[in-house]
Amino acid sequence: MNDEVIFCCVLKAEISRWQQIADFLQRNNLNIDLDIEQFIVALDEQQQLVACGGIAGRVLKCIAIEPALRGHGLALRLMTTLINQAFSLQRYELFLFTKPENEALFAECGFHLLASVDDQVILMENSATRIHRYCRQLAQQRQPGQRIGGIVMNANPFTLGHRYLVQQACRECDWVHLFVVQENASEFPYEDRLALIKAGVADFKNLTVHPGSDYLISRATFPSYFLKSQKIINHCHMALDLQLFRQQIAPALGINRRYVGTEPLCPVTAQYNREMAYWLTTETLSAPVIELHEIERRQQAAQPISACRVRELLARKGPDAVRSLVPETTYRYLWQHYGSPPVAHSLAV
Amino acid sequence: MSKLRRSMLFVPGANAAMLSNSFIYQPDALMFDLEDSVAITEKDTARLLVFHALQMPLYKDIEKVVRVNPIDSPYGKLDVEAVVRAGVDVVRLPKTDSAEDILEMERHILAVERKCGRPEGSTRMMAAIESAQGVINAPEIAKASPRLIGIALGAEDYVRNIRTERSPDGIELLFARCSILQAARAAGIAAFDTVYSNANNEEGFIHEAEHIKQLGFDGKSLINPRQIELLHNVFAPTRKEVGHARLILEAAENAASQGLGVVSLNGKMIDAPIIERARWVLQRAEASGIRQ
Amino acid sequence: MKITQQSHAGTLESGDVLIRIQPVDTQEIEIELESVVEKQFGTAIQRLIHDTLNKLNITGVRVIVEDKGALDCVIKARVQAALIRATGTQLLEQNWSEL
Repeated sequence: MNDEVIFCCVLKAEISRWQQIADFLQRNNLNIDLDIEQFIVALDEQQQLVACGGIAGRVLKCIAIEPALRGHGLALRLMTTLINQAFSLQRYELFLFTKPENEALFAECGFHLLASVDDQVILMENSATRIHRYCRQLAQQRQPGQRIGGIVMNANPFTLGHRYLVQQACRECDWVHLFVVQENASEFPYEDRLALIKAGVADFKNLTVHPGSDYLISRATFPSYFLKSQKIINHCHMALDLQLFRQQIAPALGINRRYVGTEPLCPVTAQYNREMAYWLTTETLSAPVIELHEIERRQQAAQPISACRVRELLARKGPDAVRSLVPETTYRYLWQHYGSPPVAHSLAV
Repeated sequence: MSKLRRSMLFVPGANAAMLSNSFIYQPDALMFDLEDSVAITEKDTARLLVFHALQMPLYKDIEKVVRVNPIDSPYGKLDVEAVVRAGVDVVRLPKTDSAEDILEMERHILAVERKCGRPEGSTRMMAAIESAQGVINAPEIAKASPRLIGIALGAEDYVRNIRTERSPDGIELLFARCSILQAARAAGIAAFDTVYSNANNEEGFIHEAEHIKQLGFDGKSLINPRQIELLHNVFAPTRKEVGHARLILEAAENAASQGLGVVSLNGKMIDAPIIERARWVLQRAEASGIRQ
Repeated sequence: MKITQQSHAGTLESGDVLIRIQPVDTQEIEIELESVVEKQFGTAIQRLIHDTLNKLNITGVRVIVEDKGALDCVIKARVQAALIRATGTQLLEQNWSEL
């Protein structure tokens, strides 16, 4: 019946079309997410929008079909077009956000459930095995012990506050697994953040530093984390991210405690910590409980040390202003990027 | 006797489901399309789908035509390689403007036949004429190769080329249709009409089918399986035609059994073309029944 | 031949199949199959895909198959198309008789 439907791609710059999509989604009880770059839309013979699906990085979402046309194979054609569009952008490993009642439909399109939040949202990915392969790889780095800690950090950049957190965890645990947020959405690129962490924790002997992945605070599982400037934090994204940690990643490594710093300065992280308490420790969820250890922030000059504060000082006053807040390795790195080499500088002083 | 080719059903080459099941519709020929119905990004996978569909046992007994991309496009040569190797019956050239287009295609077909060990000349050709230049050159095109079984009008591109659009009565196509028909008949090959693009308008389709049958066309390309039976019915002979054809053939058999060189019926002499035509009427009656 | 890049071919429509090809670190052939006819034809489809890859000497690959009831010839065509997309038309030109 919908042979006459035409599929086309709409970019964000096409303002009137974008508005049309927003209206269509609204009629279907959805909002356009801010990180969507493009939509695939289906137009009928009268050029009316009858279906759409958005692409944000490797995530497909805001997928809707005109109620009257559901069940005519339009969904499969839309999804084929949407998936092929993502593939042609070289994005092969895809995630999808939808409502739980649509799980079966997207299962038909090759998507598998990763995590769900009540009756609100589910996260799926287009592989039945990818997360299991990832967890199998993690499991090879399991370490013996009763108390196994886990830390996820962005470290933008790595400060003495971060180091203090790692130190406390290493002191209290038999082994600690530290994951570095992989997305390159921060001021300091991922490779540099990873290198600074490794350099800053080299003296701890019961610690593994893991590269990040799509399943840990990534644009896929937790898109709103990277829209901090919008001051919007999506409770559901947070819940999905924490469930993946509790149900998949922690069991692979035997992690039974998660360490975080108290967060007085950054509202997104502060809320994340509160949610964490619920999603990691609620007994009713299927996976084993993970103890949450919130470590009081290390202070300097009666103020907590945080990456927010370091970035702000750095921007206003330069590397020397943050010297007492960061490890030597980070300080040297900052000089290389923000001024003349520290050696030359100290001679000048 | 020449093969019956009233209906040629277009099957988009990228549509896996249609390629898998279009044998159930029983048109006189299937035309798998690699050209305009296939998006640029799907050309490679459509070519392989058609390559394998051509070899499906279910299609063994049906004539298979493939419309390939123009030989000067990035896809044409690979298309020819694929379909000739897969045993296609007829290669349909799109956008044929001159006899040279035919000769060039023929060279490629011959080269592939030699490479894969297929008998030389066993791949037949059909040329679609889709421009004013092609219509003007139709007589040379029609005679360009012994492989040619027929020429066809491709109206969608043609009307754009002559700067008009298609109308219900088809007046804008009359010159092209007549030219193509004349060229085909003069060369002793078949003439095929273009598609009727509104699949939902049965009345309009029948009207056009009657029109091209009256002009003398052998058949028509179709885009919707529903059009097959409608077309066959238009091409079915009337009871009167069938009765007359039977009488002619009986007279011819009688004459032959008596060793007579001349056949006559009702006092009139009947020559070979009339007998041939009577056979053709009965063939159509056998295929389509008597016209309703 | 070793696969070095990802590729895909096909659709999710009925009678078709969506194929994804990914390089893997080993020399293995891994097949992830989802099919509407998995119970009846799962093994046959697996074998068909193995044969198709073997004929073209392809190793070190993961094939992800989302089958919507495609005929063998459609599956073969889509797998071959995805392979050619991942490796270039040389594969096609040199292997007509193996397709």
